[in-house]
Amino acid sequence: MRIKIYLALVALLLACATGAAGKDKVPRYKTVEAKHFTQAEGVELDPTFGDYFYAELREELKKAKLANDVIGEGETVDDADAPQSIVISGAFTEYNKGSVVKSALIGFGAGFRSLKMDANVQRRSDKQNLSAIHVHVRLDPRWKPAVMAKSAARQLVKELKDEMKKSE
Amino acid sequence: MGKYLASMQHTSKPRRRGRGSSRLSSLRLASGIFIAAFLLSLSASAEDPKPKPENTIVVQIGDPVPVPKLAGSPKFWIADVIDRSANPQPELVMKARGGIFLDRQPAVIVRQALEQSLKASNLLAADANSADLIVKIYVFQFGLAQGSGLDFFGKVEFAAMVKNPKSGESVEVKAAGTSIAKAAAWKKNIEKNVQEDIEVSLRDALRNFLRGQQLKDAVGDLTKDSAAAPAAAPNP
Repeated sequence: MRIKIYLALVALLLACATGAAGKDKVPRYKTVEAKHFTQAEGVELDPTFGDYFYAELREELKKAKLANDVIGEGETVDDADAPQSIVISGAFTEYNKGSVVKSALIGFGAGFRSLKMDANVQRRSDKQNLSAIHVHVRLDPRWKPAVMAKSAARQLVKELKDEMKKSE
Repeated sequence: MGKYLASMQHTSKPRRRGRGSSRLSSLRLASGIFIAAFLLSLSASAEDPKPKPENTIVVQIGDPVPVPKLAGSPKFWIADVIDRSANPQPELVMKARGGIFLDRQPAVIVRQALEQSLKASNLLAADANSADLIVKIYVFQFGLAQGSGLDFFGKVEFAAMVKNPKSGESVEVKAAGTSIAKAAAWKKNIEKNVQEDIEVSLRDALRNFLRGQQLKDAVGDLTKDSAAAPAAAPNP
């Protein structure tokens, strides 16, 4: 009985190890640069929101392992690496700060904060558009807007990853 | 007499009640003062953390940031690092949980990190007289910035005035670095995460400055004349 359990454990460990080895893919790009997102006319977001979103976006890009290196805004890239480098830029197109009263009285998502953004992914060398991503995030108005930046960055990178998978 | 006694009894009741209520009110007052003093002492201890060895972190960038090849490989000299954060306690990174302090002033940390990276790339001049470009740094932010509250948001932001001492021309170069670190419950882990967060954001800011297109362009503009002069000298 014990031998069977040990064998099962060894098989499980082997399966986990092969699964982990399969996941360690080589990143598709050499560098990825995230730029600060601009605000469209009429969008009233705190200036610190943009900074926090930029930081979160970079963290999510690092986690996603889309590229070998996530560089800062305005950093130089070797000419040889430019064709395999991408730049992510975008804008916050719509923001509604929501209503706590509506959210509390009505519920079911009424009065939620809402943020819409458009992002473009360009190849660094020839500025060719690789994909355009639209993200819409909704959040309870009792949460800080920075929490929305976190989920927006996560969603943006997830969609970017899906787009890259489709194009492969 | 009976009437008098009756009136005395009648009048004595409120007197007894008054004594009791005054005792009660004095008790209430005393307990109120005690609670207020206790709360004040608590808030005072929470508001003014003092730097101690156990709540002080040492921020270092680790390996120096490699500087890419710049036009003419000029020698830099860090003339001045000025703190413009308007922070009355620049060494205090976090107030909560007994406070977290930096071991040095942010200006000193930035200067040392910059000099370390320039020296490693052989771009640091021996003194101001032998330097091709003089750099003056203005630190706008160093430490933690306002984030979501679910994590630590580290941010280092500075601007550098790069000046050619011969021509007197100067160009401004901006740099910023950010980092997000996980929140923690234990004080030790908070200190560790905050230290790591600031180190990463400082390194990121240095990288943004030294490997940025802005510095490359600034160096190109400022050393243009000095690079052209020796080439022009042999052909009068």
